[in-house]
Amino acid sequence: MKLYLLPSSNLLDFFSRLAKDGSVFYPVLEEEKTHIARFDTDKTFEPNFNRIRTAENIKHFFFPSRDVVATFPEDTQKKASKQYIVGVKNCDLRGIDVYDKVFLQWEPADPIYQQRRDNTIVISADCPQPEDCCFCTLVGLKPYAEGVSDINMTPVSAGLLFEVLTERGEGVMSTAKDLFTEVGKEQEKERDAIRKEAVKKLSTINERNFKDDIGNRVDKASNEAMRDARNDCVECHSCLHVCPTCYCFLLSDHKKGKDVERVRTWDACYYAAYARVGGGANPRSKLDDRFWNRFQCKFNYFNQYENFYACSGCGRCFRGCSAKIDIREILWKL
Amino acid sequence: MEAVNPYYPIPIKIKKVIPETPNITTFILDGMPIQFEAGQFAELTVPGVGEAPFTPSSSPYADELEFTIMKVGRVTEALFNLREGDAVGVRGPFGKPYPLKDFKGKEVFIVGGGVGFAPIRSLFLALVHNLKDYKRICLRYGARTPQDIVYKHLLPKWQKLKGVDIVLTVDVGDESWNGTVGVVTVILDDIPVNVKTSPTVVCGPPLMMKFTTQRLVEAGFKHSNIYLSMEQNMSCGVGKCNHCRVGKFYVCKDGPVLTWQDVKDIEEPFA
Repeated sequence: MKLYLLPSSNLLDFFSRLAKDGSVFYPVLEEEKTHIARFDTDKTFEPNFNRIRTAENIKHFFFPSRDVVATFPEDTQKKASKQYIVGVKNCDLRGIDVYDKVFLQWEPADPIYQQRRDNTIVISADCPQPEDCCFCTLVGLKPYAEGVSDINMTPVSAGLLFEVLTERGEGVMSTAKDLFTEVGKEQEKERDAIRKEAVKKLSTINERNFKDDIGNRVDKASNEAMRDARNDCVECHSCLHVCPTCYCFLLSDHKKGKDVERVRTWDACYYAAYARVGGGANPRSKLDDRFWNRFQCKFNYFNQYENFYACSGCGRCFRGCSAKIDIREILWKL
Repeated sequence: MEAVNPYYPIPIKIKKVIPETPNITTFILDGMPIQFEAGQFAELTVPGVGEAPFTPSSSPYADELEFTIMKVGRVTEALFNLREGDAVGVRGPFGKPYPLKDFKGKEVFIVGGGVGFAPIRSLFLALVHNLKDYKRICLRYGARTPQDIVYKHLLPKWQKLKGVDIVLTVDVGDESWNGTVGVVTVILDDIPVNVKTSPTVVCGPPLMMKFTTQRLVEAGFKHSNIYLSMEQNMSCGVGKCNHCRVGKFYVCKDGPVLTWQDVKDIEEPFA
């Protein structure tokens, strides 16, 4: 893979180059958390690639919380505009991996998702400073990109070390090569050391791994195994809405003038009415069953479909949890 | 070529409305907008209200698509307010059809309850279309009262078909009723087919599904030969939104018909 070095002083110029044909989004630090900001040449916030993933997940960019997916009688599909998402961490890349399976590889392909995906360039960044909520290594990930993104960056002392991962990434680089300098062995070494250190830090944060057969263990787990955690749940559903790998949605129709819009909205399997049928029967009317179902979906069923977990170890679910239910504590016990 | 939008319903007019029972009506659409096989389903849109999944009740070989629908929720209530000439939308076909190839040369034992007769009618008509391919077709159907029997006008014709054997029951009889009285399992004491080799198909309300399946298992049908129409909340119909999942199966994609072999380890599959 080709490596390039972007001196820190050239970063905003690089963003300006990208912004010529699309919107550029990147993480900025605000009150000790990173958030997603849109790059604007007039009003620039300082990018931060060192901290963990942004508070917001990146699902919005591919699969917004409210999205018109069809209009009728005439279907007038809007074209997706080009966007660059810069500084995405590997935990959120797993989200993209999940959506790619569900919306592209599982037939029929979803043309609305396809358009957004085709028009989105993902530039990921290493995650050198994992925090206490992070557990990507417990779900088979590393704190740096191993695929999915077009380009990956590692913050090093001389700037940002770029690794081009796809042809699309190569295309992006070709428009800005003059901003980059040669990469020396020392930068590669520095990157490897940063990565090693991040992995080490994660093993201190999470002293135990999940058992190797956690998928089977979840499969065999009874509701009772999750009782304590479930008892604390106040059903705010925030864990599911902040989750980068949850992909449930609901279609609903809305009149707009003479037309009807079919709207796709994020849904969450913790909602009491989620599985209720027209006649009123509800196979998961009890929270016990809904709570249990979320674990089955992420660690058992999805793993059976695709051989990886629909969990990224980002820790948003318990950072956002009103009852501070830590998903790791539940899985460690199984 | 622009990709087909799986969320877009094909607009079509209602050609005829036939009330079947006090709360069940058949809607005949003006043409066949989808090419389906028996067992597959479609999403029916009431413009501006929403959509819901239904298995057609018409033959896959027919020129017009029909749905026999019970009024139970928001979408069906709006549908029942529509008249002949009004527009609806159809998406589909979705899911897997019955494996009719595997039914060939065999006795097919079908059990229906209530509005579950609708998808069974489509299957039945598909079987009848090639009647010679099957050894025998046995149909068992239960409704709440004689008034609630769907397709009353069609049953006498079907009963006359050679190689077809139909028995009906009602939970509660009245003075017009000379047949069996009792829930559908009372007409399952006598199963006149070879249970070792015959496929059996069940479609009806959850409790009926539960007890009928239990009875068929006791009777000795192979678990992989018991075909069950699963009812689940459904939204997208194309295996993405996650609503219809039962165990690891997406009812919209892997079903809507699953076998007892598939679902027997799932806690309360008919809840």
